Amino acid sequence: MDRRNFLKVVAGATVVAVNPSLICGNLYAADGLLYAAYERAQLVDESGSPIKASSLEKEVTYIFNYPYASTPCMLIDLPESTNQNIKLKSEMGEEYIWKSGVGKDRTIVAYSAICTHQLTHPTRNDSFIQYVPKNKPTMAYSSSGVIVCSSHLSAYDAKAGAKVLSGPASQPLASMVLEHASDDTLWVVGVLGSDKFQDYFKAFKPEFKQFYNGTAKAKKLVSISAKTIKLTKYSKELIQY
Amino acid sequence: MKQIATALVLLGAFVSVINADETKDPRSILMEDMRTMLESMEQIQRGGLYSSKDDMEAGVKKLQGTIKSLESENVKYILPKDQKYAYAFAQKSAKMLRLYSDDLLVSVKNGHMDDALEDYTQLLQQCTSCHIRIRNW
Repeated sequence: MDRRNFLKVVAGATVVAVNPSLICGNLYAADGLLYAAYERAQLVDESGSPIKASSLEKEVTYIFNYPYASTPCMLIDLPESTNQNIKLKSEMGEEYIWKSGVGKDRTIVAYSAICTHQLTHPTRNDSFIQYVPKNKPTMAYSSSGVIVCSSHLSAYDAKAGAKVLSGPASQPLASMVLEHASDDTLWVVGVLGSDKFQDYFKAFKPEFKQFYNGTAKAKKLVSISAKTIKLTKYSKELIQY
Repeated sequence: MKQIATALVLLGAFVSVINADETKDPRSILMEDMRTMLESMEQIQRGGLYSSKDDMEAGVKKLQGTIKSLESENVKYILPKDQKYAYAFAQKSAKMLRLYSDDLLVSVKNGHMDDALEDYTQLLQQCTSCHIRIRNW
């Protein structure tokens, strides 16, 4: 190792030692928490203006991509407060705690929009996964107000960490960890639970060529802000059973 | 006279064949297509296992010839009655089959056999995904 490389290693180690949160990766806490930290990004609208929590329409599915340029997530302002400290389990048996939604009444939640069963997700062409408002029926579950993947009819509990309510899905949707700032803006800082990102990147290479000019661009990490739009604008066609 | 009679008989036979094809039960068309799809998948797999690009390409061509019936609106008429409502899902599966099979051809052409076999895996995944849904596995 020459002198220049030695200095780089020492400088890098010093930065990490001073601020360990710079390490991005899976952090397994002693209590079984499964959490991956990514760059903190602000949720913004199409014009780039920060989204205010109070401006979200109730029971509407919004989409933003995080932590990668191609990994879609759902943002929903639920009609009632979420449950708290929900114990969830990944398909590998890892247990973790989903604290609650954010916002004034703890009604705002965000989850990965990649179904944990067979990776169904919204594309620009269509979406088979979405939140089903309370006044709309679904074939996937006995009551509405849940997230439904209409591909194979899995239902997830939107107010309890997206735990599986019915259908073939074997684990909850990964949760996007949100922060609600004092100025009413929303930020996303990490992913809680078992995500399916690597399977997703492997499975949809041709789709990434079509929509992102290749997998490398699809895998680019989101930085600074995440554009957040209604699902009805994100996908041309919504299919919900 | 004899020639005219023969011509009329042949014309009649021709017309009845045409009509028979038009009135063919949509479900039997689907079953035929499914059999051809199975053959095409076997051919692609054989091509992959025996390192035969020709077999892989021929299998893809055969497959793409059959997915038209699933891509069209007519898919409503060939699905089981209790699954008619899910025609958009069948159409989506067909679109994905088209996407992966097109990519498989590109991968084979460029000599990227790992990618080609991954595309094959995804084709199979689409088949089973649709069968789980539509056939209530």
